[in-house]
Amino acid sequence: MNRTLGQFYPATSPIHTLDPRAKISATALFVVGLFLVDSIAGFVFVAGALAAVVAASRIPAGPFLRFFKPVAPLVALTASFQLFFSREGEVLLSWGFVEVREGGVRLAVFLALRILLLVAAAGLLTATTAPLALADGMEDLLSPLKKMRFPAHEVAMMTSIALRFIPTLGEEAKRITTAQAARGADFSGGGLLRRARALLPILVPLTVGAFRRADELAEAMESRGYKGGEGRTRFRELRFGPRDLLAPLAAVLILAGGVVL
Amino acid sequence: MRLELRDVRHVYALGTPFEVAALRGVSLGVEPGEILAIVGGTGSGKSTLIQHLNLLLEPTSGEVLVDGADARTLNRGELRRRVGLVFQFPEAALFAPTFAEDVAFAPRRMDLDEDEVESRVRDALRTLGAERLAQRSPFSLSGGERRRVAISGVLAMRPEVLVLDEPTAGLDPATREELLGVIRALRDGGGTVVFVSHELDEVAEVADRVCVLERGSIRASGKPAEVFYAEESAHAPATVRAALLLARCYPEVGRPVSFDETLATIRGVLEGSR
Repeated sequence: MNRTLGQFYPATSPIHTLDPRAKISATALFVVGLFLVDSIAGFVFVAGALAAVVAASRIPAGPFLRFFKPVAPLVALTASFQLFFSREGEVLLSWGFVEVREGGVRLAVFLALRILLLVAAAGLLTATTAPLALADGMEDLLSPLKKMRFPAHEVAMMTSIALRFIPTLGEEAKRITTAQAARGADFSGGGLLRRARALLPILVPLTVGAFRRADELAEAMESRGYKGGEGRTRFRELRFGPRDLLAPLAAVLILAGGVVL
Repeated sequence: MRLELRDVRHVYALGTPFEVAALRGVSLGVEPGEILAIVGGTGSGKSTLIQHLNLLLEPTSGEVLVDGADARTLNRGELRRRVGLVFQFPEAALFAPTFAEDVAFAPRRMDLDEDEVESRVRDALRTLGAERLAQRSPFSLSGGERRRVAISGVLAMRPEVLVLDEPTAGLDPATREELLGVIRALRDGGGTVVFVSHELDEVAEVADRVCVLERGSIRASGKPAEVFYAEESAHAPATVRAALLLARCYPEVGRPVSFDETLATIRGVLEGSR
């Protein structure tokens, strides 16, 4: 119900029901493989295949395109760097000391496509996977690292707790803000310093409240017998079925197609 | 000052799939010098309603009148100073290193000179019986003490109408009694108090008028005796329930509401039957 909680877009689709581990590994393979694609035909093929998967996920184009908004400036900036500062290939255009060369255009287009496809893949993952399922999946995928003393369970637990408390803290911030507004606090106007100081009456109680909540949560977890990840079972068991194998397989096939073309 | 809500509706998240109608056409006046209690179950719209009294929330439709003028035409800061709003668990919003500084937050925003700020802080803390706490840190004291200081923080604006959302929730009986005493004293000093409560027994003790909200509409409003005796139900203060039981055998009981009234009635019945 909360739209601010990540980019999860609840819907019923074959992509949503895939095992999170399948989706995470497929996305990882896809992202790494993207750097091997090196032709326009290859990019068109990969983008088309990804678009087909997005269509299958039943996420409407509008919300999906919104994922690109925050990265648009980055794409524009890096692409223009390639465009103007590359010294490869023939000169296509030149105004004074600024020249655009063929190799620069090529690099700019490829780089922009790569970033956009990367964001699209990551967006698809977070849009079709509930944040908690994502954290569970990460825990399982990272668990081989436990042998190297990497705290996979703790990292996943911290991630899911953090995700769980974002809306709670958001509500608390809103409540404190209205309470201070009732006491005449003014959060608009003034310079940067004044504005930062105006936030103090919100940030202090919010931080104190967060620590109090953390204490209470720790106590509640302990009183229910939580003692770390060792031997702990899950409420929602993840099941990796044959269908889930299709996701990484599809990622590999799509990229193989992209590389060959 | 006289406040009036006229057919106020409030819808949260209007125009989204999460739309919730919290108030469905509420008309209510707050008369100067009265203690108005707003009671109702969880989710009945009490908290939404009181936030309209100083326009922290604006009505989706309908209007809020301040002495007959549309509140939206008034200066917001000025309105929030004249109608002081204390939220539920106000101690959660304490932030300054000492209580005195926290209470001074609101008066400092009013362009008063330092002497005036100080005298307001002292008065407000004294009213709540928290003077001795002035130099203490908010994070080292009990819930009841922090509640007193948080209420002082609004009182220091010297509002004409004080609005309290469940001021006694979670307090020990002694602090609760004291707080009800403060509410009475404020009214006796010429102020107006609106307070939200779940606790009908305390409403019976202090309220001059009661307004019962149910699912965003007013189910009943009027003098406590009128409201509490209007329908026989378990939703009445203990005093009223006792009087109703007594009235089955002694019809002369009448309609006492406060503890003292009920005590006097019972005494009268006992003496009469002797």
